[in-house]
Amino acid sequence: MKSFTLAVATAAALYAGVNQAHAWSLSEAAAPYKGTSITVVGLDRPSYKIAQKLTPEFEKETGIKVTWNIFPYEDTLKEETLNFISNSQQFDAILSDVVWPVNFADPDWVLPLSHFTGDAKLADPNLDLKDFFPVWLASFTVNNKLYGLPFDSYAGLLYYNKSMLKAAGFDGPPTTWDELAHTYLPKLTDKSKRVYGYALQSARGETQTADAFARFLWPWGGKFIDYSNKTVAVNSPDAVDGITFREGLLKYMPDGIVSDDHSQVVEMFAQKQVAMITEWSAFYPTLSSSNLGSDLGIAPEPKGPKGAYSAFGGFAYMVSSQVNKKHQNAAYLFIQWLTSREMAKPLIEGGAVVARQSADEDPSVQAKFPNLAPMVKTWETSTVPDWRPQLECYPRFSDIVSDWGSRIELGQVGVKPGLDSMEKDLTAYMKSSNCWGKINNPEAAMLLYK
Amino acid sequence: MTDTAQDRAPPMAAAPPSWKEKLEPWFFILPSVVLLLAIGLYPVIYTFIASLQAWVMGMGPPSFSGLDNYIHAFGSSDFGHSVGRTLILILVTLPIELILGMMIALALDSTNFAILRRLLQICLVIPIAITPSVVGLLTQLMFNEQLGIINQLLHLVGIPAIDWLGRPTAAFITVMIVQIWEWTPFVALVLSAALSTVPKDIDEAAMLETERWWPRFRDVQLPFMWPGITAALVFQTAFTIKEFDMIYSIEKGGPGTSTETSVMQIERMAFRGFDVGLASAESILMLVLSIVLARIYIRVFYREMD
Repeated sequence: MKSFTLAVATAAALYAGVNQAHAWSLSEAAAPYKGTSITVVGLDRPSYKIAQKLTPEFEKETGIKVTWNIFPYEDTLKEETLNFISNSQQFDAILSDVVWPVNFADPDWVLPLSHFTGDAKLADPNLDLKDFFPVWLASFTVNNKLYGLPFDSYAGLLYYNKSMLKAAGFDGPPTTWDELAHTYLPKLTDKSKRVYGYALQSARGETQTADAFARFLWPWGGKFIDYSNKTVAVNSPDAVDGITFREGLLKYMPDGIVSDDHSQVVEMFAQKQVAMITEWSAFYPTLSSSNLGSDLGIAPEPKGPKGAYSAFGGFAYMVSSQVNKKHQNAAYLFIQWLTSREMAKPLIEGGAVVARQSADEDPSVQAKFPNLAPMVKTWETSTVPDWRPQLECYPRFSDIVSDWGSRIELGQVGVKPGLDSMEKDLTAYMKSSNCWGKINNPEAAMLLYK
Repeated sequence: MTDTAQDRAPPMAAAPPSWKEKLEPWFFILPSVVLLLAIGLYPVIYTFIASLQAWVMGMGPPSFSGLDNYIHAFGSSDFGHSVGRTLILILVTLPIELILGMMIALALDSTNFAILRRLLQICLVIPIAITPSVVGLLTQLMFNEQLGIINQLLHLVGIPAIDWLGRPTAAFITVMIVQIWEWTPFVALVLSAALSTVPKDIDEAAMLETERWWPRFRDVQLPFMWPGITAALVFQTAFTIKEFDMIYSIEKGGPGTSTETSVMQIERMAFRGFDVGLASAESILMLVLSIVLARIYIRVFYREMD
């Protein structure tokens, strides 16, 4: 009897859900906001280009006018913070990097998504939050509240030139950093011909912190912050090992790598001057359309001595709390549409990277986009959501990491003294800015979504 | 002819101006004064007030912190090094710009080769007319180790390729070279204007006296040029201290911080680190440095010919 009751209840719930799904439509939900103009923050990257291209479909269906405001990545946090501090209400849909949620959520500049998902008129019953990879939902959860819908989501990948590796006697890419450094690079590097085994984007700024520093911290067992003891851990023996290893790779890289950013490294790889790079999955469209052709190989990043930890980065859309309710609801409808299951495939086809399991794991999609399989594997097994710590004082924190990280890479200071100085500066800054009280640990939020 | 009573009467004293008449001149200058205060003084006062506050954007409202930001700025090796780089940039580039500028000004003053003089005048405008950020981007291309034309030219004369932008010292030298290229024409134009203040009759008399250029330059032209030279020094020092776009677009102050000048460090503090209080204190310190240098130039170099 008990199971019969349960079955009836389940059937009734399913029916209600299906009925509601039939009842809900974007055009009807958007009817009250017809004619509303919303402003969306975007970046000059492939995901946003295709999103802009597809936006007229949303405008046609809803009558909501969407204006894109595109910024270089380096200026985005500044522009959005100034928008909030001055209460200028310029932006309705806020773009948050994976390290900014606490900056926006703590001062209540953005609304938790429950504000909208609890409203049956606005919430698409097919939103299906569980379709997003857990690590991405955890990354945009602050104090157990989800604030953003993931969009433009990256994993660090190893891109390699199949022909160059084959010519050096290798059938496949390296699987460990040790193998990469000691077996592959000596055979792949010929400085007299200006051919290099590996290039690591290391430009000062976020590239140095997220790409050049964190990449050699986690796989060696290091981390930025010890949450339990509230200490900065960048000079732990594991961290020293990892950064020392990084310094050992410099002899296989082009001169001046310390000043090279993503674009230069990708270009050198595309020009076949470099055999391997570790870059974001978002660069696949650029590399697949270069003259590498079938030489382009993609694999997960190599493992370190303490396990597989690949670079983790990307964005989510949030809704500003400062704009009026009409704008908030219209902006929510837009970001819900943009990050929906239905839009995932058209976005991927257009060059975007999304965090929807249904699309990224679809074999027919993976067959067309070889960056997806290693990306999915990375998100499921080999990354951490706090690849960079979520601190309200993160901008200055990252600046200090990048400053000392660059000095170490330039050889201006030794690894151990450099990391000790980094730790000293970070600890002093964390204390003076009262930053320990404004931390979000997304690793803890993983339990909510697993 | 006798004086009449009317003639003998003391002249009538002018009526004291009414308050309206007294205020009238103020109404004429008031718009300019308000404008100057709004765009000149207000930002300085605002920055000074911000410099006395603990204010990190996004981390709560500002609070009064006295001289903490100034103490922090003085103790910061980051800020200290950036000021050091700025002063080195001034000390190296300014004399070279003055010497080259003077040579160009004298060439422009010459009565020979009219067509070449005209060509030189046109060429002088080009570096000034190009947007500094474009200069930076062009520098990136021209000084690129592998693809740049500078290394190609060096290769022609047997000099091996130099990693101009990848090594700290070479990158700083690159910035100096571009800075000199960009600003020498401006100095030349200022000095050319100063040269035009030399009275013609005196200059002609000097030419009759001697055919050698050095005594004519030293004893006749140079004394008239000191005000112009002082102006060039003051302007160029200010321009160099606030040079941002060109250096930023070369490689954002890199590699590392090797080409980061004080204004770039301040921008980084304010808009990357969001520490508005500290950045404001550093801005005020740089303003004081500019004023001190300008006063030194005026005291040492400025003199007027009667």
